Amino acid sequence: MIASFDAIEVLLALFLTASALVCLFDRHLVRACCSFVAFAIAMTLAWWQLGAPWLVVAELLLGVVLTGLCFFYALGRFLPGTSSRLKRDTFSEPWSRSAIRLLLALAWFVMVGAAIRYVIVDMAFSPSEHPLLLAGVLIAACALGAFALHRHLLRRLLAFNLLGSGVFMLLAGVAGTSAAAQALISVGLLVAWLGSMLGALLIRQLLHLEGVEALGPDGEPREGVT
Amino acid sequence: MIWRFGLFDSTFAPLLHTHWALLAALGLPLLLGTLAALFPPKRAWPVVLASVPVLASGLVLLSAYDQAGLLRWQWEIADIHLSLRLNGLSVLLLLMTQVIGVAAALYTPGYLRLSETGPLARWLWPLMGVVLSALSLIWLATDLLTLYAGLELMGLAAVGMLMLSGKVPALVAGMRYLLLALVGSLTYLLGVALILGHWGRLDLQGLAEVIEPGPVAWFAAALIGAGLALKAALFPLHAWLTPVHENAWTPVSSLHAALVIKASLFMLLQLWSILLPDTFYAPRVIAWLGMLAIVWGGLLAWRTDSLKTLVASSTVAQLGYLMVAFPLLLGPDIAPLPRALAWEGFWLQLMGHAFAKAAMFMAAGNLILATGESTLKGLAGTSRRLPLSLLVFGIASITLMGLPPSAGFTAKWMLLQAMIITQQWWAVAALLIGTLLTAAYVFRMFRYSFDETAPRHRYQPLAPGMDLIALTLALIAFALGLLAHFPLELMHGGSP
Repeated sequence: MIASFDAIEVLLALFLTASALVCLFDRHLVRACCSFVAFAIAMTLAWWQLGAPWLVVAELLLGVVLTGLCFFYALGRFLPGTSSRLKRDTFSEPWSRSAIRLLLALAWFVMVGAAIRYVIVDMAFSPSEHPLLLAGVLIAACALGAFALHRHLLRRLLAFNLLGSGVFMLLAGVAGTSAAAQALISVGLLVAWLGSMLGALLIRQLLHLEGVEALGPDGEPREGVT
Repeated sequence: MIWRFGLFDSTFAPLLHTHWALLAALGLPLLLGTLAALFPPKRAWPVVLASVPVLASGLVLLSAYDQAGLLRWQWEIADIHLSLRLNGLSVLLLLMTQVIGVAAALYTPGYLRLSETGPLARWLWPLMGVVLSALSLIWLATDLLTLYAGLELMGLAAVGMLMLSGKVPALVAGMRYLLLALVGSLTYLLGVALILGHWGRLDLQGLAEVIEPGPVAWFAAALIGAGLALKAALFPLHAWLTPVHENAWTPVSSLHAALVIKASLFMLLQLWSILLPDTFYAPRVIAWLGMLAIVWGGLLAWRTDSLKTLVASSTVAQLGYLMVAFPLLLGPDIAPLPRALAWEGFWLQLMGHAFAKAAMFMAAGNLILATGESTLKGLAGTSRRLPLSLLVFGIASITLMGLPPSAGFTAKWMLLQAMIITQQWWAVAALLIGTLLTAAYVFRMFRYSFDETAPRHRYQPLAPGMDLIALTLALIAFALGLLAHFPLELMHGGSP
């Protein structure tokens, strides 16, 4: 089974997973954002590999350039001379919370895996031939866990974007790269970009007004330690 | 259920002027909103002028539907089918959107002038335009791609509107809403992916013919349902709603509570009636949650100290009435009579609530603006100084309580009748408890406002018309009950 994998695709899938993990779990925010850009570039190549030319353009423009700019704006690196740059996520979590989030991600992973294995028998790209699909499922699960775990707003926004990419990859796997599927994913990319832009504006504004960097357990604002 | 949503072929092709009316109904709000961002209107009269063509387009579409019955538009762009339909229900919802949108736009110049709104105020206009255009698109669209685009445009513009006030609590609530809405949209997208992968098409009419019950349909319905329930603030997923309204501007709250959350509910019912036409349990789960919503929302509104929280929590409870009607609309072996009654009651309740809630938010906004206080205790003495705002609040709450002859009464009467015929006594009990709780929180609010022990000397005078606009909306909600045969006839029409 493994032998039927395309070597380039395996490399791409490994790189996607690795950069997604760095992006999700590195507390150094600049490094996380850089690895997001690397991840988005790898996604562009993955769309090329899956034969979706429109998505290559959409991902390059919306995912790499525009969403990347949003994150660097949120970091405060976009305009020189901006005060209060974001550097590190300094919020620590109790282990019980992390454990629950880990279970959530695992449950999601198992559910999607079972759905792919038993429910959807006629997938356009079968995961036993396309490791990119496996990477997509894994990335979506990790991103969901990270989205629920993190308190830092920028990291949650990053996690949402990766969750989106994982879901788009799953969508392409289930529905193929027909015109309708490419249109759906393109609209999804557009929405993700607009959402990231709104989120980046909100993060900057909150930081500017109050130094709020995160949402507490009950949605209360929390100030950064730095 | 499928024909009720107008998912069948039309007899006549739309005429030329109908095309223009459609274009105007979909595009004009966006265009006018952009214009208003460039030249922000300081008074209400430019808004009156601008709203004439918008309302006219709605009326032209209404008369076109009257003459020709169901109308369809279809395009095919690079192998992607896009389609719109105009049936009685979508005309009604479109007219409701336009009237409430125009009312909110008329209310805005006075509100912006009187309250300290900051430099971002001009951006309210284009965002409002996007929300209204996207809503019109959602009522008309019959393919999953257009519905997705409309839903997301509406959701993002709504987030933008809510964060305009620029205060920290508003921004925090907006951020939370944004993150939840985005995750909800991904859930919805995954459900759509399943449908596209399994049946290979996105148009609702074609899907209604090919979808057969099975695990794929259930998975897709669950994913789509979860995403839309989050966006519609259905009961266990409603926690984001109150903080969002607590800090938003009044016209924004009106639009959001009256229309934006209803769009997700409309899509939920439409898609479930295609995916799960004969499932027993799923609509019942929604109904049970709806009963909890009625009680929980009523209790929250009863115990709160803040006027806006009261109005927002009452939305959670009122959405519960709509959720309780789900097993009467979807499911196996429902007799035609209770199903027809529930169908009419559902939409009448939705429309009555939209008008009443928009009026109520405006009345609450007027009271808060005039007294400068947002708590219930701050209302002391308003009965003498602000009788008109209180009157609007009262008329709107008559609809929410369901007292005759308002739309709320007629709608609940129909729902009750359907529930009694199908012997769903739990739902009847929930409906009655909900009415009592509504009365409890409304009278609690009035008790504070008739308190005369705290004399107040200074009230901010309101702009002319701010109360009148709210009064008009409240009276429409009231009149919908008396003149219910007009909307009901529209909903009946178009059966094949």
